[in-house]
Amino acid sequence: MRTKGTIEEGRFYQRMALPALVVISLFFVLPLLFTLSSAFIGPGGGFSLSPIKAVFTDPYTLRVMRFTITQAALSTLASLLVALPGAYLLSSYSFRSKSLILALSAIPFVIPSILVVLGFVIFFGNNGFLNQLLMALFSLSEPPLKILYSYKAIILAHTFYNFPIIMNLVATYAMHLDRRQEAASYTLGASKSETFFRITLPRLLPAIISSASLVFLFCFSSFAIILVLGGGPRYSTMEVEIYRQARMVGSASAAAALSLFSILVTSLLLAAYSKSQQRLVQSEAYKEPLLLERRPAHALGRILALLYALSALLFILAPIASVIVRSVYSTSGFSLKWYRQLLNLERASSHMGSALAALTNSLAIALTVSILAVALGTSLAASIERRKRGKGALEMLGMLSMTVSSVIIGLGYFLIASRLHGGASLSYALVVLAHLVIALPFTLRVMLPEYRKIPLSYTNSARTLGSTTGHAFFTIELPLLRGAMVSSAIFAFAISMGEFNATLTLSSSTIVTLPIVMYRLIGSYNYQGACALGTILIIVSALVFIATGTTKGKKHA
Amino acid sequence: MPNSGLVCSLGASYEEFTLRAEFSVQEGKLACIIGPSGCGKSTTLQLISGLLPLAEGSISLHGNDLSTVPVHHRQIAMVFQEYALFPHMNVAENIAYPMKLRHIKKADRSREIGELLSLVALEGYEKRKSDELSGGEKQRVALARALASEPQLLLLDEPLSALDAKLRKHLREEIRRIHDETGITTLYVTHDQDEALSIADSIIVMNEGKVIQCGTAEEVYHTPNSLFVATFIGEGNTLPAHLLGEGEEQRAGVIFFRPEQVSVHTANSGEYLPHLNMEGATVESCEFQGGRYRLHARWQGYPLICYANRRPQAKTINLTVRKRDILHFEEINS
Repeated sequence: MRTKGTIEEGRFYQRMALPALVVISLFFVLPLLFTLSSAFIGPGGGFSLSPIKAVFTDPYTLRVMRFTITQAALSTLASLLVALPGAYLLSSYSFRSKSLILALSAIPFVIPSILVVLGFVIFFGNNGFLNQLLMALFSLSEPPLKILYSYKAIILAHTFYNFPIIMNLVATYAMHLDRRQEAASYTLGASKSETFFRITLPRLLPAIISSASLVFLFCFSSFAIILVLGGGPRYSTMEVEIYRQARMVGSASAAAALSLFSILVTSLLLAAYSKSQQRLVQSEAYKEPLLLERRPAHALGRILALLYALSALLFILAPIASVIVRSVYSTSGFSLKWYRQLLNLERASSHMGSALAALTNSLAIALTVSILAVALGTSLAASIERRKRGKGALEMLGMLSMTVSSVIIGLGYFLIASRLHGGASLSYALVVLAHLVIALPFTLRVMLPEYRKIPLSYTNSARTLGSTTGHAFFTIELPLLRGAMVSSAIFAFAISMGEFNATLTLSSSTIVTLPIVMYRLIGSYNYQGACALGTILIIVSALVFIATGTTKGKKHA
Repeated sequence: MPNSGLVCSLGASYEEFTLRAEFSVQEGKLACIIGPSGCGKSTTLQLISGLLPLAEGSISLHGNDLSTVPVHHRQIAMVFQEYALFPHMNVAENIAYPMKLRHIKKADRSREIGELLSLVALEGYEKRKSDELSGGEKQRVALARALASEPQLLLLDEPLSALDAKLRKHLREEIRRIHDETGITTLYVTHDQDEALSIADSIIVMNEGKVIQCGTAEEVYHTPNSLFVATFIGEGNTLPAHLLGEGEEQRAGVIFFRPEQVSVHTANSGEYLPHLNMEGATVESCEFQGGRYRLHARWQGYPLICYANRRPQAKTINLTVRKRDILHFEEINS
């Protein structure tokens, strides 16, 4: 032992990774291996390739695979068609509602999918606001739009959920492009449209591809939307099929074999996405956005722009707003009945009876998850940043659970839990752990760049002044990370509050959380009750939305 | 007292870089380490402070071996180039940080903070936030904070390099004054030769991970032990040794002399026997530098730099250097 000092430092940051490594290996890798090994267990109980063979030869599952990919492709295409004009509008012109649209387009990043489903049903459903409006306007006796429980519904819901992502990413990228290249093109004699198609569009292509592949990934592993809006096995995707095989058919090995395929595709998509991200970073220098004072030149352009802005705003906001409205207002007028039932002030029927328990459960689970996820995310970020070797590998390990859909994470827990015969407390512990595994990559994503901003000289300074590495971490680095810790805690809280896929897959009927009860209420056509619960989720999402806006862009001198 | 002060023999290897350095600093003195970038100056400080592990050798301070003592027990404070003030603490809290670690009572702390702030000429700055300070003020606070840990040795890693020239000059005088008032043994790393020559009691010249020469400022300037030291510290002229002329035996290597040792004559003023006479040199440029003129001349194809008190009136000049001012080096490459 030549130099205890440096060894001590090395050890401190090495050890910081341990809690996260334990959680990842015990509660993510292990269940996943358990799941995947089930794909190789035949009907007799021994090793067999027959489940995989069965899955890849069964015409039904082949149709499911085909459908999964087609619907994801169509949804991505539809999202692109809706999003690109908006991205053009936002990046080329300055108008009054611009910053509002740009801010609102970040909503899908924070909104839970079960809420999207509910908002969609309330707004586009047969008795939804849109149909009621159209019936009143044109005095029709029948609802003119019958899109629920169809292919169209899936595509439309995916578009609603995902087009703002493309619009947001492409517009933000376009705003930071160096516009002098376009100016150069004009001076060389190219017209406006020639310049757009030959200069601007090729430069935007990396951003378009990158955001489209992200949306494709989201649609590929979409679960709640398909489960509710697809209306049964006719429109079933991989994720829904994994859930159905495991929980309804009771064939764990078929579910596991399907998971294998799903993981393969999502890993490929993620690899493509991160590749496109790298190209994005390399391709253009980041410029401060130009001040755009132009408005569209022609009156027609101005009207089109206004129409687009209005309908985009409506498209994003209307379904969410209708959830809030419907929670207090029905055909029989204004009523707080569902909130009274939710708070147990009034006798509630069936699923509404468990609403209060669901709310307190969800709050308790989310609180636990956010505390644990921030602690693990922060210590893992510190360990990644302050080690000399293995940075990349450790970061990848921290992000690993993103490569697996939450249904598959839930499946692993379900398979293990079905052998453990534990009580309700074990089930809730599993829910917390599943949420933790899902939330960890997000908190790590928030903490890492913030940690990177802290210069090593702060710690070194503290150590030469007489502080141990550990003491320096708690007195210097942690206080500087406070903002990032708060925003990643809110993030993790919201992820847990809205988590539906893994929870539904792993849970027994005794477990109630907010999204689960919402799902059951939708299933029993109690939309107003679901809306009351949904409003609470909207409030949580809104808090996240505000928090992510305010904690961005702080740096350490 | 053979053991007082800092005595070190450092050895460490890194990718593409090996450090082998031995030197000592007398107790209470201010020593400067100077060398081109990448010569191992900063690594040397990190090894002494314990921030980097020592592969071999020893570090002894006032007779105590420190090589196995952890960083936070070495009582060696370090001031960093980028100040490293803790941004979430105000000036007083920054200075109090090492005091709290030494469990100093609150009343004593605030008194000591006041004293330290007046030492660095920042009275009344207690409540300022670090982002409200100028670069020079930040460096003074960093110095006060380092002194607050009552170090046995103070390390300064290019403390002035982020500041502008005028402030740099002022602050180096301040650092010398604070050193004289506190009497703490100090090791100061810089790449600026003016800084080193003006404030150091002794200078350690490093290159490629090795100590090339140690000595007072005058010693390294006037009697450099190698062409590297001669050309690195101050300006100078290097000529092939055979140009020293007849009468001298033909010598290999190079000769070296300083620009201020050259006398400039416009008329032929006869042979100066103990001199190197460079007749018929041409003036290529002449810069006025306030106190003197800096001439670029060329003689027999070799470029020369010399200082003159007056602007030469002719294009062709004669230059002379006393032979006793000329240094001879066998080595060719510097």
